[in-house]
Amino acid sequence: MSMLGSLGENLTNTMKKLAGMSVIDKKVVKEVVKDIQRALIQSDVNIQLVLKLSKTIENRALNEEPPKGITPREHVITIIYEEMVNLLGSEAKELEINKKPFKILFLGLQGSGKTTTIGKLCKYLQRKGFSPAVVCTDTWRPAAYEQLKQLTEEMQIQLYGDPENKDALDLAEKGLKQFKNQKIIIFDTAGRHKNEDDLIEEMNKLDKIIEPDESILVIDGTIGQQAGEQAKAFSQATDIGSIIISKLDGTAKGGGALSAVAETGAPIKFIGTGERIDEFEAFDPERFISRLLGM
Amino acid sequence: SISEDDVEDILFELELGLLEADVAMDVSSVVVESVKNDLVGQKIKRSSDIEEYIYEALKKAVSNIIDIEGKSMTELLEEKVSQGEPLIVMLVGINGTGKTTTIGKLSNYYIKKGYTPVIAASDTFRAGAIEQIAYHADKLGVKLIKHEKGSDPAAIAFDAVQHAKAKGKELVLIDTAGRMQTNTNLMDEMKKIRRVSKPDLVVFVGDALTGNDATEQARKFNEAIDIDGVILTKADADSKGGAALSVGYIIKKPILFLGMGQSYDDIKEYDADWMLEQIFS
Ligand SMILES: Nc1nc2c(ncn2[C@@H]2O[C@H](COP(=O)(O)OP(=O)(O)OP(=O)(O)O)[C@@H](O)[C@H]2O)c(=O)[nH]1
Ligand SMILES: Nc1nc2c(ncn2[C@@H]2O[C@H](COP(=O)(O)OP(=O)(O)OP(=O)(O)O)[C@@H](O)[C@H]2O)c(=O)[nH]1
Ligand SMILES: [K+]
Ligand SMILES: [Mg+2]
Ligand SMILES: [Mg+2]
Repeated sequence: MSMLGSLGENLTNTMKKLAGMSVIDKKVVKEVVKDIQRALIQSDVNIQLVLKLSKTIENRALNEEPPKGITPREHVITIIYEEMVNLLGSEAKELEINKKPFKILFLGLQGSGKTTTIGKLCKYLQRKGFSPAVVCTDTWRPAAYEQLKQLTEEMQIQLYGDPENKDALDLAEKGLKQFKNQKIIIFDTAGRHKNEDDLIEEMNKLDKIIEPDESILVIDGTIGQQAGEQAKAFSQATDIGSIIISKLDGTAKGGGALSAVAETGAPIKFIGTGERIDEFEAFDPERFISRLLGM
Repeated sequence: SISEDDVEDILFELELGLLEADVAMDVSSVVVESVKNDLVGQKIKRSSDIEEYIYEALKKAVSNIIDIEGKSMTELLEEKVSQGEPLIVMLVGINGTGKTTTIGKLSNYYIKKGYTPVIAASDTFRAGAIEQIAYHADKLGVKLIKHEKGSDPAAIAFDAVQHAKAKGKELVLIDTAGRMQTNTNLMDEMKKIRRVSKPDLVVFVGDALTGNDATEQARKFNEAIDIDGVILTKADADSKGGAALSVGYIIKKPILFLGMGQSYDDIKEYDADWMLEQIFS
């Protein structure tokens, strides 16, 4: 496995100390675990999650008998890898458009990248032969409709919205009606956070009106320890089906998204790697794990 | 007297607390180290007093970072106005932190104090950016200097400064596109805006929910463009405010304002005591 190889090579010098050992040295394991802890905390993985994970890795490394023919070093690396994969939850399935209309609801904190990511997803779906329609229900952000319009018109994507209408629920209903014969309808929503009661209530209602087939939570790749609490509030308003991490083109590692996975049970499906419409990639667990571990 | 062993566990707890409040790891270590140096060797009467000592040492360490002396934006504005010049302010930061919204808030704030701002629509890149800032300018009755999408942001900033000087307006607010600190082209473009418009105050706008990346953002923007002050947005979103510490530690310039919501009035002048309370709550 390539991942195991690079884990072993890159994880730091402490990992090297495991090489050539015939039995596992407790002290070295503790050092390795400490390195992992540091890397994950710096990657914005939730502190409690990190503490739990490192305890599990330590226990397993010290107590599990390595399978025959496996060196202690390989054994420890395998454990680290398995436990990291565990954090990512269930494997991400491709978006399956199995219903008409298939309704996708975007949600997330202010400025996390929802609107831009909708542009990206439209492009992605177009490449797969679909022509999605988009509904703007963001009545908060000035020029939210203009932004979507500029993003979608280059791709000749149909857009419904009305900057004069300040009722998000009404906009959702009208959009649904207008696009009822479309194969895919994507709903953009205003950014909100868990302490904005009115907006959380609005999300509840939007969920009831739209009855989304897939709710996508957009997580800002630079977010820290708040990611979990915020994701929890969103998952109480709608059943989150997948997560997209934006802004992974900078130096942030995106570990906040793991708390969102833990809170919602939804897998990460795509990542955003730039502002442009084609800077969008399918999520790659191995690469993400390497990134989190600082490799 | 206090030994290292006495405080090891407490310091570990303390470090976890800082990390959970989103203080970047390298900054948390610095704070904890400083607390430790402050404590070890100190003579105390009762061992039960240790916690109290630690708390005081911590408060001191944190205050050193987030309570930085410097003039407020209002003071700077008053100074410039008394010299018959506008105060030129340029807002920078990564994508989506709240720069444009903050310009709306600052306009409103200073209009209420009797000043007349002018806004430069120097984000000519993002979809809907010009329309977004135009909405704020319109709503608040502020003159907006704009060119078409894709045009040179530095030229717009320059025009706004000329406009303020010609019309005797007191405040120029330059809205710039969000950019990743790793994007060399866009960082260069930002430097050009600075060269051409010669701002008195370059403000780094950071999102209060940012985790460990806050230090890297602050460091790179500061290296590229010399930040004079910081505004932290989305402080209403229940963050513990650790980003203030991370950014403050790197930039070592005062935090000017906190963004506390999406409306024009949701901005307040920074208050170090308030911030301390957030971090320790
Ligand atoms: N560098 C980078 N910027 C991104 C990415 N995704 C989005 N952005 C930028 O992030 C900023 C915010 O994006 P929006 O799409 O407006 O975010 P939003 O969640 O719709 O914002 P609100 O509707 O105000 O809540 C914009 O400047 C985008 O260009 C990404 O993957 N990388
Ligand atoms: N809750 C809350 N939301 C805020 C605050 N400041 C800005 N926002 C929201 O954050 C989102 C992004 O704000 P913008 O002002 O567009 O951010 P920006 O930095 O100009 O974004 P780009 O130009 O795309 O880089 C909008 O939905 C704003 O309403 C704040 O203090 N609190
Ligand atoms: K934004
Ligand atoms: Mg949006
Ligand atoms: Mg902006």
